Amino acid sequence: MTTLDDLREEATTVAGRLTRRAGRFIASLPRPHLPRPRLSRPRFGSPAQVLLFVAFAVVLGAIAHIVSILAMPAFAERNAYARLSERMESNVLTLLPDPSPQEQVLPMMDPAFVSAVCLYDLSEAPLKVRVPATADYTSVSFYTAEGLAFYALSDQAAGKVIELDLMTARQKAALPEDEEITAADRLVIESPALEGIVAVRAFARERGTRAIVRRQLEAATCTPSN
Amino acid sequence: MRLLPLAFTLLVATILGLGVTWFSVTHSRGLDVVRAGAWQGWPRAGTAKADPYARAAFARSGELPLELADGLLFLAAADDAGKPIDGRCETRIVGVLPQARLWTLTLMDQDGHLIANDAGRFGFTSAEVVYRDDGAIDVRLSPRARAGNWLPTGARPRLKVALRLYDAPFSFASGAADAAVLPRITQETCL
Repeated sequence: MTTLDDLREEATTVAGRLTRRAGRFIASLPRPHLPRPRLSRPRFGSPAQVLLFVAFAVVLGAIAHIVSILAMPAFAERNAYARLSERMESNVLTLLPDPSPQEQVLPMMDPAFVSAVCLYDLSEAPLKVRVPATADYTSVSFYTAEGLAFYALSDQAAGKVIELDLMTARQKAALPEDEEITAADRLVIESPALEGIVAVRAFARERGTRAIVRRQLEAATCTPSN
Repeated sequence: MRLLPLAFTLLVATILGLGVTWFSVTHSRGLDVVRAGAWQGWPRAGTAKADPYARAAFARSGELPLELADGLLFLAAADDAGKPIDGRCETRIVGVLPQARLWTLTLMDQDGHLIANDAGRFGFTSAEVVYRDDGAIDVRLSPRARAGNWLPTGARPRLKVALRLYDAPFSFASGAADAAVLPRITQETCL
């Protein structure tokens, strides 16, 4: 028993001596020259620093949000104009298939209506839109290529035949003066964009009248003038 | 050491900003919301004065919004009590419609698709709905055939109803629609 106690005692003294020597060795090592942390700058991880980063993130996030919202109309690849240009030529009025659960050319179309659209391009010449009014509600709406609605007219405001001339501000300014007198019932609409969409919608009162309304809309045209 | 938190903050900020953008273009149709009971309308979305949120939402969805001079769209995805409209339940749309040359009521699923059914019936219009004696309508949304103005829901868990008023009076545009009375939506028994 005693020999074991002796051994333990010796071990602790040796260990103590070793640690003391190691400590002296470390203390004797040359110290690297560390700059003292400045008191004015909060250390990373402190509440002030975290708050600063959160505020920074919120401001940057708001900027990213506003920029992306404003840029979306210009960069959206699947907007109405892009979807429609896959299936039709410019300056031709085309009847759209009736919306069904399987297929909708454009989202949120009213299934009670027969629709026709015309993609216009005013770079060459103004556009003439002629829509004979059907027995029921008929309307013509104008959109820019980015999908912004800028004008609409219904049969009640226009009479038997809806006749419209769509042109840019420059083309309108170039109109001869006297032409407005000769064509009193001509309605000139100024387009804010060179390209866009004309949408013609006609109400089908019952399912049976759908085919008739479709046939009537087939007579509608959209053609470049001159 | 300083670059890492900076890059992290930039990343978080971009994700945050674009996330809010994504949420707003998928869930909103513009800032100028007018409410009438369970219905929501966006009168300025169909004009040249549409706000950036409306423009972004339509550019993404590809929808051509109703021009305000043509008509006005109201959407309802919840009943008057604020509960989402469930296609497995009986839902009634009751009330007098405001003055308009004609109106259409369309039933859609959550994503705006029409709901397939044997009758080929996707909604009612002012020309074909059966009116009550007091001039009100009573449309029933139900997964099972019902008497009267029945719209089949196909037992979809979430529904959206679109009410379009064509050639509606101008007071709607000026924001007075808050006071306008649109049909009430109530949900009754569920299956």
